[in-house]
Amino acid sequence: MALEFGTPEWAQALVQAINASSEYRNSGSAWGVGFNGNVLFAFEAGGALTKPLYLLLRLQGGRSSGAEFVPGPSHPDAGFTLRAPYPLWREILGGKTLAATAILMGRMKVEGNTVALLKYAGAHRSLVHCVSSLDTRYP
Amino acid sequence: MDRLYQLLQSRIEGQVLTPDEFHPAILTNFGNLFHGAPRLSVSPAGAADVIATIAFAREQGLTVSTRGAGHSQSRLAISDGGILLSMGSMRRVLSVDRAASTVDVEAGVVWRDLVRHLEPDRLVPPVLTNNLGVTVGGTLSIAGIGVASFRYGTQGDNVRELDVVTGTGELVTCDRKRNADLFWGALAGLGQVGVITRARLDLRKFKPMTRTYFLLYRDLPSFLDDAKRAMDGGRFDAIESWGSPCPQGLKPVAGRMQPFARWFYPVHLTVEFDPAHPPDDEEVLRGLHPFERLYVDDVPSVEFFERMIPVFDLWKRGGTWQHVHAWIEAVLPWERAADVVESVLPDLPPSILVGGHVLLWPAKGNSSQSRLFMRPPGEDLLGFGVLPAVPSRYWETARPMLENLGRLTEVMGGKRYLSGYLDWPEERWREHFGDQWTPFCALKRRYDPASILNPGFVVFPSSTAGSTPRPAPAAAAPARD
Repeated sequence: MALEFGTPEWAQALVQAINASSEYRNSGSAWGVGFNGNVLFAFEAGGALTKPLYLLLRLQGGRSSGAEFVPGPSHPDAGFTLRAPYPLWREILGGKTLAATAILMGRMKVEGNTVALLKYAGAHRSLVHCVSSLDTRYP
Repeated sequence: MDRLYQLLQSRIEGQVLTPDEFHPAILTNFGNLFHGAPRLSVSPAGAADVIATIAFAREQGLTVSTRGAGHSQSRLAISDGGILLSMGSMRRVLSVDRAASTVDVEAGVVWRDLVRHLEPDRLVPPVLTNNLGVTVGGTLSIAGIGVASFRYGTQGDNVRELDVVTGTGELVTCDRKRNADLFWGALAGLGQVGVITRARLDLRKFKPMTRTYFLLYRDLPSFLDDAKRAMDGGRFDAIESWGSPCPQGLKPVAGRMQPFARWFYPVHLTVEFDPAHPPDDEEVLRGLHPFERLYVDDVPSVEFFERMIPVFDLWKRGGTWQHVHAWIEAVLPWERAADVVESVLPDLPPSILVGGHVLLWPAKGNSSQSRLFMRPPGEDLLGFGVLPAVPSRYWETARPMLENLGRLTEVMGGKRYLSGYLDWPEERWREHFGDQWTPFCALKRRYDPASILNPGFVVFPSSTAGSTPRPAPAAAAPARD
């Protein structure tokens, strides 16, 4: 059954999908090792999303130790924040736009070390695949 | 028959062709990405024909695009509705001054022919491109980089004098002192300020033999350390290096199974020598720490200069020469080079490098004085090129990855090498040229006020362009595999 985007159940399912993914385990094996790899995804209101959503994903060494939707646009545990309007996120999650393209072209805002983020573009692509593999009911 | 054909043919000594006589190859370039059909193609017999053609184009409101060997990959060396100047017809080596160590050549001379012409005197241009099948005028208009660039800079840095026909139809002789702005604007100037018709090139004496040490590195940091030592030691005449994939099978990338590779780093270090005094290998390689010394090869120097010809022949025979070539080449700051290379290679499918390769070229930023060959600040630089041959049916799949790679090199502080694949709006050009953008635009206004030369590639501000409308860009649709 499809899970509703933005709910704790969806966040938990994402953690399970990441930890079940050999693709992410390999490509993200160095992500978060020696630095804070937790990422705050900021889905800014736009399109069908009337209120912004913020997902904190805890990542280290190719695994996720948890995910939660948090109330604010920043979080002390986040090492990186990625901000984009919701319609752009849908393009990325639908495979129509690469996250790296959005970052490189300035469509997605990055808080944190952009060089480190781009260096692990393969890991982030795997994450996107994990998200898109979930049966999700999007706004 | 196009009425303009007879008019133009009556004014020039060379040959004018109409579309029914075109060889299909002139409708695109090596990139096989952009296509255009010129209204007329002109094979000039000399500078006078270039002058007459430009004057004619101005009268008729046509554009003029120059083509050497057509090795560019973007909107260069093709024309859509204008006049294509096929400079390959101007291929005379005019004179060699042995005392001054210079040679005068027409712009359409192919480097391979020049090397052979000079061989009896044991003279050679200091920098040769890997592909010797390209023209002098073509590479000087881009910059011209080779395995000796870490010592001698670009090919443009080894030019004494140029004859340039400007966009106003004036033949101007220029050098570092006379008409210096035009000289530096023509070198690496992408054909925007004039058509190079003659070049006086520096030469150097070469020793009869070369010895090349084939070294292998298994990780990027150790390769970079030794590359810097090799450049700084002053003991090598040429340095050539690559990323070389060892395919490992398939892995999921974004959910799709894709071939992946473990990458190694071969390095070829070359010294010239006289057979009576062969190099002391241990001394030459002292201080270097390769994973393995694979091979040592002694060949006559000219054979070394021509070493890539059999490789290109192989690519041609294998059919990959006809694929899409969207080469992404950039000069990276040394301190960012490892980040870029290590972020790119793990997910680069080795299969797209059949008929291509990944270049890693250590370089010295201070070896070039060129104004328009843009490179990052800093003494040590790394040239990084992903040179794929992509079957046209896979182009749209490969395109986002390659475009991201190009952008990544820029975000990381690199500068693109402009013979490769790029399709930029004005702001990217401005970003690329940085503080040279305003002077470059001023040169364009001065020497090509009607904006007729090589349109469609560099996007100048509208205030730079004259009254001649810019032709519509050719579609980026590969024609064939």
